[in-house]
Order: sequence, then C-alpha cells, then structure tokens
Amino acid sequence: MQHRMKRLSDAVQQLVFVGPALLFFCLIVLVPFLMSFYYSLTDWNGVTTRVVWAGLSNFKRILLEDSEFRNAFWFTARYTLAAVVFANAVGFTLALLLTQPLKTRNVLRTVFFLPNVIAGLLLGFIWSFIFVKGFAAIGEWTGIGFFKLPWLGTASTAFWGMVIVSVWQMAGYLMVIYIAAMMNMPRELIEAAKIDGAGRWKMLRSIIVPLVMPAFTVCLFLTLSWSFKVFDLNLSLTKGGPFGSTESVALNIYKEAFQNNRYGLGTAKSLIFFVVVATVTTLQVIYTKRKEVEV
Amino acid sequence: MKKRSLALLVFVLILSLLVAACGGKGGGSDTGSNAGSSDGANGGGSGEKVTIKMFQFKVEIAEQLAKLIEEYEKLHPNINIELETVGGGADYGAALKAKFNSGDKPDIFNNGGFSELDLWIEHLEDLTDEPWVANLVDAAKPPMTKDGRLYGMPVNLEGYGFIYNKDLFAEAGITETPKTLDELRAAAQKLKDAGITPFINGYAEWWVLGNHFINIPFAQQKDPEAFIQGLYDGTEKIPGNEVFKQWADLFDLTLEFGQPNPLQTDYNTQVSEFAIGKAAMTQQGNWTQVAISQTNPDINIGFLPMPINNDADAMDKLPVGVPSNWVVHKNSPVKEEAKAFLNWMVTSEIGQRYITEEFKFIPAFTNIQADESVLGQLAADIIRYSQEGKTLTWNWFKFPGGEASSNKFADVMQAYIGGQINKDQMFERLQQAWDEMSK
Repeated sequence: MQHRMKRLSDAVQQLVFVGPALLFFCLIVLVPFLMSFYYSLTDWNGVTTRVVWAGLSNFKRILLEDSEFRNAFWFTARYTLAAVVFANAVGFTLALLLTQPLKTRNVLRTVFFLPNVIAGLLLGFIWSFIFVKGFAAIGEWTGIGFFKLPWLGTASTAFWGMVIVSVWQMAGYLMVIYIAAMMNMPRELIEAAKIDGAGRWKMLRSIIVPLVMPAFTVCLFLTLSWSFKVFDLNLSLTKGGPFGSTESVALNIYKEAFQNNRYGLGTAKSLIFFVVVATVTTLQVIYTKRKEVEV
Repeated sequence: MKKRSLALLVFVLILSLLVAACGGKGGGSDTGSNAGSSDGANGGGSGEKVTIKMFQFKVEIAEQLAKLIEEYEKLHPNINIELETVGGGADYGAALKAKFNSGDKPDIFNNGGFSELDLWIEHLEDLTDEPWVANLVDAAKPPMTKDGRLYGMPVNLEGYGFIYNKDLFAEAGITETPKTLDELRAAAQKLKDAGITPFINGYAEWWVLGNHFINIPFAQQKDPEAFIQGLYDGTEKIPGNEVFKQWADLFDLTLEFGQPNPLQTDYNTQVSEFAIGKAAMTQQGNWTQVAISQTNPDINIGFLPMPINNDADAMDKLPVGVPSNWVVHKNSPVKEEAKAFLNWMVTSEIGQRYITEEFKFIPAFTNIQADESVLGQLAADIIRYSQEGKTLTWNWFKFPGGEASSNKFADVMQAYIGGQINKDQMFERLQQAWDEMSK
C-alpha cells in the first residue's frame, strides 16, 4: 500500500513538473508536426476550405521533378560545410587565444560574443548595407580589389557573403563553449605534458583537442543544425538571389508554401528536410561521441 | 507530511489546468461578443459597439489611414475599426493566410486581383451593387471582376516607366524627350558623353524585373489578353515571339548604359542614388515620389515611356494599373458595416480629401478630383497619360501563380544579367517557368 502510494506520488510529481511543458510542447510542436504530415499528402493551397487528397504525388514531384529544391539542397549542403568548418575553426582559435593571460581578454570575449546577440534578420540587413555600400566605399578609397567585388551580385561572392556573416555571428557563441571546456581541463594533465616536453603543437593535438572533444560534439551539432536551417539571414541578406543561386532549403520551402501557394508541396518538402537534418545531426553526434575521452 | 505535499502538488496541477481552461474561455467569449455585435447591426445600431478588423499592407499610408479611421469613428460612435498593417508582398500573403487559418479573420483586407482573386474568391463578398461602383474608372475594373461580378474596391491607380531627371537631361543637352528605342539610345549616349550615368537599375529586386519590366512585352502584344490565354493554351510561346525579342533590345540598352553591378542594387539604393542625381533615369513608379522628394526636394523629374522599338505612337505609353484592392470577408458578421465604411471612404468629402491629400493616391474614381500640385510631378505625368488614353495594361497578376511566376521570371532575368545564360536561353527558361507554374 505504502509502495503504491509512493509510486502514485512519483507519477503525480512528474506530471506536475513535466506536464505544463509537455502540454505546450504538444500544442506548439507535436500537433503542427502531425498536421503537416497530413497536409503533405494533400494539394491544399493554404486558403481554400476544400482540401483535396493527393496521396504521395507531392513527394514524387519533389524527388523526381523539382530541380529548384535540389539546387537549394546543394546550396545548403555547401553552405553548411563551409559555415561549420570556418565557424568552428574561428571559434576554437578565439577560445585558444582568449584563455591565454591577456589583460583585455574579458572585453574581447564580450566583443566577439556580441554579434550573436543581434537577430539574424537584422544582421542580414546590416551586412547587405556593408557589402553593397560599405565595401564599395572602402574599395573606392583604398583600391583593394577584395572590396571592389560585387559582393551580393554574383553567385559565388553571394555564397561567401552568406558564409562570412554566419561565421561572424556563430563564432562568438562557439568560442564561449570552447572556453568553458578549456577552463575545465585538468591542470595536472597540462603540466605533466609540459614536463614531458610537449611543444605547443603537440599539446594542442594530443591534450587539448581530445579533452575538449565533448565541446566539439556540442558545437558541431549546433552549427550543423543552425546552418542547415538557415532562413532569416538568407531572407534578409540575399533573398536567395542573384538568380536563385543562394536559396536555402528553408527559404525554398517558405516560398513554395506561401508565395507559390502550394502548401501541401511545401509541407512535403519540409518533412523530407526534417528527415535529412535529423539523420545528419544524429550521425554526427554518434560519431563525435565516440571520439570523446573520459578523464 | 507526505500527504500534504501530495495534496499541494495536486492543487498546483489543478491550478495549471484552470489557467489553461481560462485561456480557452477567453477565446470563447471573444467570438461571443462578435456574434452579439452582428445582432446589434441587424437591429439597426442599437448602440452596441461593433468592431471591424482591417488588415492592409500599404506601410506608407498606415498612419494617415489610422487618422481617417479616427474621423470615421467620431462620426459613427458605435463603430470601432482595428487597423493592422503588415508590409511587403509575400509577407502580407503569409500573414493573411495565417490569420484566416487561425480563425482571426479580418473583415477588410487587400487583394491584388486576377489570379489572386481566384485564390481568395470563396471568401470574398460580392460588391457589384455598391454605390461607388458607378464612379469607378473603367481601367480599374478588370482585376477584380469575375463572371461579371465585382469583388473589390481599387485602392488607387499607379503607373511606372523610366523616371528621368530633367536637370541632368538639360545638362547633357537633350532637348527632346526620347519616345522610341533609337531616341532613347541616343539620349543615353549623350548622357554618358557628358559624364552622367544614364541608368540606375534596381535589378536586385524581383518585382522590378518580374513584375514591372517583364510586363512590357506582355502589354505591347497586339492583344495582351489573347496572348496570355495563348500561353495558357500552349498556342503561344515566348521563344520566337517578336515583341519579346524587341524587349530584349531595351533590356540590353539598360544594361549597356547602366551602373555596374545592377544585381546588388536594391530598391532603396536605386531610389536614393537616383534622387541625389547619381543617374539620369531609373525604372520605377509614381509611389517613389515621396521618397525622392524627401531626399532631394529640388529635383525636377518626370516619366519617360519604355520603348522597345521605333514606332513612336505605340511606344509613347505608360503602364497604369491598380496595385491592390479592398475586399470584404463574405462570412464576416460585420460585413455591412465594413461595406459602409469603404463606401464612406470614397464618397464622403473627408474620405476623398484623405485619399488625395494625405495618402497621395491617384484616385481610381471619376468623382474624386486629383490635384496635381498635391500629388507631385510623377503622378501628374501618370494622370496626363491616362487622360490621353496612352496607357498599357498591367499583366503580372494574370501570370500563373501570380507572384510566384514573377519570382521565377526575375531569377531567369537575373541569370541573363549575370551572364549565366544567353538571350535564347532566357526566352526558353521564361517559357519553362510559365509552363511549370501553370501546371
């Protein structure tokens, strides 16, 4: 009796603490998700009250015919690769520098973290101004070719423009995570390595990187999912242009659903996208988890 | 002790449920008051307050429209109009859909007409028998007409073309305004020789290309209506069409004499650079008047036609149309009040004054006098061309999928500007985009 009472009490306790969150999770995430399952099997245009069942034709159309979706995927994949590599490299380097005994390091940490506080949409507008007006002015002034490029005007420069802005935005956040991991490294290991005569490079490769591997897991996961789902920056910086060359999958889905008035097709795309992002990030987590070392 | 904590937990849980239930109830009572207000209306305005929800996208007039609404509410104390504004094409469409699907349906909102009318028609009130219809300008009727019935009230008339800086033209020694393609080329050459950039092209904007610029070869067809029908039927094709070929000559001309890197020149850059005199011509509409005169109050500007060949009579025309319409939600409990407000807006003295003097709109009604000194030089040119009957039609609302096609067309044209594809490929891809969207 006592035992059952306790179990009941535990269950109630869990319900009280998890219940409200679960309720809102269901309302805001789960229900729309299931509804989008349904809509992806229809040809609903987002307005009419008449929803016609379309079976799997949306998926067939996306996989076989939709070259724009494929292009968007290809762009997103390239962009993700570049953004993940550079953002982590920059974030890690910054963390290495800012764990050194520097006088200004607290100020610098704040400065590098700051871009992350600005919303992506705003960031896009600011940077589109910098690329179009700011860089042009600097280019005219100094004559350096780099600044004279039509930054948002050609496919390749617009691609790198996107990468530059997202690296600038994400690196500060990653830096904080890496710094936290580096501060938690056991001192004795570092000292032991120093006594054993490890050089800087050896130290980095054999001591620091393995020890901050858990941070890599987190950072790679974050950057992967952020870059895959990039939308606001894309919308405000390039709008997918020029000639649709920098259209991310998320923007493509948005346009399909709300501009082309093909809500069913849009939700079908978003489901495919969901599966891909989930698979990639899960694989990444499993892989980097294996590399982590226990101290 | 244990029992008491359990009781506490249960209490908290019940409380949280209660809160959730209250939220639900709040929504319920809201619809209740709506229903009540419609009763009040049927009873001849028994003094109960009626709320009309108005949802529109013209950011430029949001403030002035709110003032007009205040005036109306003063005259009709039992009416309360809630105005909400969300700017920009696609964003407005997405927001409107979200509102409809979440049950927060506005009573008055905007619609572009033609294929957008088809999309929304099942929600729209038939306005054919409204008193203002008699005074509507003929050119403003087709977008919202379906099977002889009218479903919307035109917000205003707008026109576009090449806006030109008269002072810079004078500086380059151009005395005759160009009306044909050759004359335009000669003028551009003269400007260039005088050290003035002839064109500033806002080709980063999809709507500058995909709505306005590509409209020219549609509007210059012998019978635009039949041509578009032909494209739908498959009897007409864009590749090989003579008018499109000529239009490409104009396209090349603007690129040859345009500023460098047009693909990163957005609307703001385009208008501000033109306003400060960095270029002599730009393809825009009369809606830029306020922005241009704010940047440069002393500027002297006017409209040039957009010629694609050397037939001066056929070329000397400006595309004039209705950018948007007010529509009323058919199942709204306050639709009678909504219609009454719309009618007041275009028939009362106050409403008419606001339309011209405050909104700076070119009215789409014959009974509203538009004063050119109030509306500015650009509107004056549009009104002059309209009165002389020298207008071209707006066709982008007739494209399959509306804005979606315009976006696809703009992508294709940007690829041409960027040198990714040649002229023939551009025509091919425009055709492909059309076919894909009309599927």
